[in-house]
Amino acid sequence: MTSRLLEPLAAALLAAGPGYLPERASSVAESVDRVFGFIFWLSLFFLALILALTALFVVRYRARPGRTEPEPSPSHHSRLELLWSGIPLALVMVVFAVSTVAWLGMIEPEAGKDPLRVQVTGRKWSWWFDHPGGQGAAELHLVAGRPTELVLASTDVIHSLYLPDFRLKQDAVPGRFTRMAFTPILAGTFPIYCAEYCGTDHSRMTASAVVHPDQASYDAWARQGAAEALSLLDLGRKVAAAKGCLACHSLDGAPRVGPSFKGLWGREEKLADGTSVRVDENYLRESVLKPGAKVVAGFANVMPPVPLEEREMQGFIAFLQTLGNAP
Amino acid sequence: MTTAAAGTAQGPAAESYLHHGRGLRSWLFTVDHKRIGIMYLALIAAALFLGGVFAMVLRMNLWWHGGGLVSNDAYNKLFTLHGAVMVFLFVIPGIPAALGNFVLPLQLGAKDVAFPRVNLLSFWLYSLGSALFVAVLVVGGVDTGWTLYPPYSLEGARGLGILLALAALFVVGFSSILTGLNFIATIHTMRPPGMGWFGLPLFLWALYATGIIQIVATPVLGITAAMGFLERLFHLGLFMPEYGGDPVLFQHFFWFYSHPAVYIMILPAMGIVSEVVSVFSRKPIFGYRFIAMSSIAIAVIGFFVWGHHMFVSGQSKWASLVFSFLTMLVAVPSAIKTFNWLATMYKGAIVLKTPMIYVLSFFAIFGIGGLTGLFLGSLATDIPLHDTYFVVAHFHFVMVGSVLTAFLAGLHYWWPKMTGRMYGETTGRLSALLVLVGFNVTFIPQFFAGVAGMPRRYATYAAVFQTNNRVSTVGSFILAAGLCLAVGGLLASLARGRRAPANPWGAASLEWSAASPPSHHNFDRTPTAGDPYDFSGLRLVSEEAGYVRAAGEAP
Repeated sequence: MTSRLLEPLAAALLAAGPGYLPERASSVAESVDRVFGFIFWLSLFFLALILALTALFVVRYRARPGRTEPEPSPSHHSRLELLWSGIPLALVMVVFAVSTVAWLGMIEPEAGKDPLRVQVTGRKWSWWFDHPGGQGAAELHLVAGRPTELVLASTDVIHSLYLPDFRLKQDAVPGRFTRMAFTPILAGTFPIYCAEYCGTDHSRMTASAVVHPDQASYDAWARQGAAEALSLLDLGRKVAAAKGCLACHSLDGAPRVGPSFKGLWGREEKLADGTSVRVDENYLRESVLKPGAKVVAGFANVMPPVPLEEREMQGFIAFLQTLGNAP
Repeated sequence: MTTAAAGTAQGPAAESYLHHGRGLRSWLFTVDHKRIGIMYLALIAAALFLGGVFAMVLRMNLWWHGGGLVSNDAYNKLFTLHGAVMVFLFVIPGIPAALGNFVLPLQLGAKDVAFPRVNLLSFWLYSLGSALFVAVLVVGGVDTGWTLYPPYSLEGARGLGILLALAALFVVGFSSILTGLNFIATIHTMRPPGMGWFGLPLFLWALYATGIIQIVATPVLGITAAMGFLERLFHLGLFMPEYGGDPVLFQHFFWFYSHPAVYIMILPAMGIVSEVVSVFSRKPIFGYRFIAMSSIAIAVIGFFVWGHHMFVSGQSKWASLVFSFLTMLVAVPSAIKTFNWLATMYKGAIVLKTPMIYVLSFFAIFGIGGLTGLFLGSLATDIPLHDTYFVVAHFHFVMVGSVLTAFLAGLHYWWPKMTGRMYGETTGRLSALLVLVGFNVTFIPQFFAGVAGMPRRYATYAAVFQTNNRVSTVGSFILAAGLCLAVGGLLASLARGRRAPANPWGAASLEWSAASPPSHHNFDRTPTAGDPYDFSGLRLVSEEAGYVRAAGEAP
């Protein structure tokens, strides 16, 4: 009963207050805006309270002829003070809870099947998006309603991929991968900014997110004008051969000096020290650059470090992903 | 003998500290806390001016969405130096080093701080650090942002500027540590007879809490600067991925200092507000113990919230959860203080002189600054708002608006004590109004720009944000006019101001029982402290003679 009354009220408040918010173009935007609306009205109430009491007291208790002395009033009141300690404490805990619940939905990987997985590379001062199927572009292409996973890397300094209409932001840090998962829900073109200061043209490090209304539209884009440059996947395949990886890591599942690449991606690997690790981007990067850090059980620690360029590393990982997940 | 009588007895006859010794050497080598405070005030005002000029150029460049006044590189250097100069040379040392140095021993009825020579060393270190910042300018500036995030800040191409800047931070940090150490030692050992811990003026509780942060957090700034310095020169592999380091590690180090540093800025400001609101409401401060303890609570909890600057950095999920939770907790002591200040005004006899008008501005500005912090401490809303103009607006409300209004409140409040002159009340009030209006016109549009998605540190920006930016630029001129008027009014009073009585405001803390300006030794004999917020026996004799404690009343 109360919720039936409160919900439209909450919706109305949400719409009325932050009417200046950008479009809600992703699956997480609405929950973020709910939290925003809640904090907005809570803050506005307390700000109004502080200003109103200030104004009221100044007007009523202003010193003037006939009022040169204060009226007697207590110099402390423990119960009252505990009350105005307790109420803010309770309210900020509610803010924390509401916000954290929404946030967990923003950072957990999308449950959706068949995510569109895009490798994002930040570099001074542009973004580069490697789409599945080898299509590289300076624009991010997505499909409305299709779960999306972005894996971010940087070739030089820290950048931050910021999509205001999606209410999402994630730093791209050199030397590691970071990720974001969401589902675009509105077709259209949305701005992308760099939000972490990165030098001369930081403010011009912009791009667009093009959200296609359906998969067919996306496919049509992906087919046209195949990238001139070597695609990420082809680069990865070439790297695996050229750097000698395939001498020790087979592609057919047979273990040689090292584990086979087939089915490696996403597998839970038992390590020589008894722990286990999931084969993901960061594990692969570590194993390529510092092979001795996490050696798979049953194999000797003999692999030399293989320094790769950032894009080679991304390509190599893209290549491994095509070799299938664990059975 | 009553303290007030002591004040009048030593009044104009005693030689003031301003005339105790003449010439530049008598200032540069003084160990008198009052002169050191005045010298700090001069340098800090210069830093405010320099940082302010940078800010005005930035705001003018942002008049056009395509920029155009200066190049992108010049813009980047300007906002870096604006931030560094304002933070390290104005806001952090502002209240403690300038006003704190002058007032703290006087409020304790003492002759000086516990370690007067260390105090002078602290001032010299601050001067040396400031000189190094100027040297950074001379060698062409740095464009790293005041946050100095690697890898960008430590890239091989960067020249001498970054090394000088890191050295400057190291040196200025020691100045801050020594000041905090001195204040804590002084409060511990030099309280006068009759003053227990809960008889301290609240400004001193605030400086004590500030001192804790200065001593514990600032060494980490020094360590971080030293590590950055060594990484740049010797490629140790601390922060730079290309040498095997971790750039996010730097962010942890940096914010471990720089978040508590926000409390180094705001706690003394809160201390001033507590003094002024009580004196100008003619009523004891409401809930002394809650206010005192909330300063300590802020100082302690403030150490454990640094990770809220890193919610999108790639730090672990659990770290983000814990930092968000603790950030929410730190809001509570500020709420307590705010309500206690309001309760102090309740049923008072509120005198609307310049310091009080600045304090009323503080309520509005700190209210907005504090409440908008909720959006940034909570995880879901911080993700889109992080590193946008919303953050710029929020921290300017807290670090600049709140600290600046409290600083100006304190400066006008203690100006008669420092200089022996009364400032012009009309000019003072007008400046307070201009600052309030100018500040809000400057920074409120930035909240809207940030929510709409304008990232910070942008020399150029999308055309949709141009209106916000133009309003903001107009506001910055009003703010600058207000500040010029405030400074002009104060300086004019040095020549034309009425002579100040020992106690012009009817305050009860001990500094008002010394002469205005005090003698070199502050007090002829150690005064006995009473309740710093008991105004009941104070009677206004005349504007010229100020307040005097009526005979027979307890001091």
